[in-house]
Amino acid sequence: MVKFELKRDRILLRWGLEKLEWCIEPRYWRNPIIGVALLLILPLFFYSFPHLLTMLTTANLLACLAIPLSLQILGTARVNFGPQLYLGIGGYTAALLNLHFGWSPFFTLIATVIVCGSVALLLSPTTWIAKGLYFSLLTLILPLTFLDLTYQFGDLFRGEVGLFGMSPLLDLGRVRWNYMAYYYLSLFMMLLFILIADKIGRSRFGVTLAAINENEDVARMMGIDVSKYKVFYYVFPSILTGIVGWFIVHTFRSFAGITYLPLDYMLKVLIIVIIGGRAFVYGAVPGAYFVAIIEEVLRGFGHINQWVFPLVLIAMILILPRGEGLWGLYHKRHPRDYFPKLHVRRE
Amino acid sequence: MIEIKNIGIKFGGLQALDNVSFSVGKGEVVGLIGPNGAGKTTMMNIICGLYKPTEGTIDFEGTRITGLTSNKICHLGISRTYQIPQPFYAMTALGGVTVSVLNGKKRPNMCLSDAGLEASYYLEFVGLFAKRDELASNLNLYELRMLELARALATTPKLLLLDEVMAGLNPVESNRALDMIWSAQDQFGITLLWIEHVMKIIMNAAQRIVVLQYGKKIAEGPPAEIVKDPRIIEAYLGGKRK
Repeated sequence: MVKFELKRDRILLRWGLEKLEWCIEPRYWRNPIIGVALLLILPLFFYSFPHLLTMLTTANLLACLAIPLSLQILGTARVNFGPQLYLGIGGYTAALLNLHFGWSPFFTLIATVIVCGSVALLLSPTTWIAKGLYFSLLTLILPLTFLDLTYQFGDLFRGEVGLFGMSPLLDLGRVRWNYMAYYYLSLFMMLLFILIADKIGRSRFGVTLAAINENEDVARMMGIDVSKYKVFYYVFPSILTGIVGWFIVHTFRSFAGITYLPLDYMLKVLIIVIIGGRAFVYGAVPGAYFVAIIEEVLRGFGHINQWVFPLVLIAMILILPRGEGLWGLYHKRHPRDYFPKLHVRRE
Repeated sequence: MIEIKNIGIKFGGLQALDNVSFSVGKGEVVGLIGPNGAGKTTMMNIICGLYKPTEGTIDFEGTRITGLTSNKICHLGISRTYQIPQPFYAMTALGGVTVSVLNGKKRPNMCLSDAGLEASYYLEFVGLFAKRDELASNLNLYELRMLELARALATTPKLLLLDEVMAGLNPVESNRALDMIWSAQDQFGITLLWIEHVMKIIMNAAQRIVVLQYGKKIAEGPPAEIVKDPRIIEAYLGGKRK
């Protein structure tokens, strides 16, 4: 039986021994609401520029990849170079099931979650065995192996050309309306991912996450079941990444391993995590928008793009506050402020 | 309370501990001393589950704990401090203690703010309340040791393993630390197994002393007997030339 309580600044939900708190004080919600409202209004001005809308949708999807990645890097205490493996697995699962068996997007979503979850669960013992650089190398090589597989079994995966003609998530009849709808869908997915990561980060599990990230052995000595946490923080973000693959399949209606699996796509996501701010997940949003816009602006310069893009990013990493990234520009807090505080009133 | 029987561990060809057995009773303070490299910290790591012993068994209140993981051993009620303090450097003092409050035993209904409140109690106990929002990397050695003590106490241990708490502290600080440990023992009713190199302190503090040398137990008894034992004088100062 769920009990519902309304306190001065928060809503409390209790069931059994569990409880869920939700802060409703407006000063905590003002800035997020302004930010979300901006993101909601912004595309209306771009109604007649579909390529800009696609750019913003891409930015949202990149943020959707960066949020689980930062959660995964924190929770397993290892740098993961291969988030796009699950993007590939999720995308190909959805695409192949839709093309060959005619499954609707809803069923391919379930299949994607199951397939990504079980592959991640199979690979999760690597977070116990491989340490430091070895884990990074392992995750680096897995997407490339998968890319090779898409070439090897070209009849099925069509690695070079890509799969196309999957059924769309929704069809509003007009192309521009569709672009708009896909922007909003990707935005809602991004906000959902942020909400999930935020809930984890602010709860008791967030402190535990920080402890695992600091020192595994000491965390284990403090009674944390590190192995269990690591499996969860490996599998859960992997599933989220797989869902992004499913979304790409059913909105862009084409999916090719060569686009999403190689190293440069992964580098883009890692760069978002770094310049967006490693300290907290919200940084993924400004980071993703920054990278997507820079990419779009530099596209006109042709070949120079390959030189300017990395230079701009290196400059950003050097200029921005250390470890705080773009988010740190807005949020000038000391790192200690991320942890719970006790205020003592002095008379 | 804890029964250590015939513990032996090999690192490659090195027999770090060989057939060591002793026990610690409830409410006792037992000192574990020995020259450098005698295997004291190895013993502690084995009790905590960091190393698996190659032979022998450890029973804690009737439960066989050899082979259990550290977190399960912690839940049973064994906690430790480190010789070189290992706090969570990027976390505040309060955050670090909150981690142990939340995870030291099963607390399904504890939210973060409740845990912070309880953590503040342990911080106040060791005298670090004023530094609760300080990052651990900004604390000095004495404060780090006290933070470790607070973190260990916050897991509600029955047996606390202290690994050279006094090393590197000046006399005033070590007196304060000693007072702290006594009041911790009084208030929380814990048993202590204490590694120490400062003989003056451990000889006064412990009711029983276990002496290790080259991985073997060479003596066990009350401090008054231990200081007179010729084998121990030989282990520490060297024997007479024959």
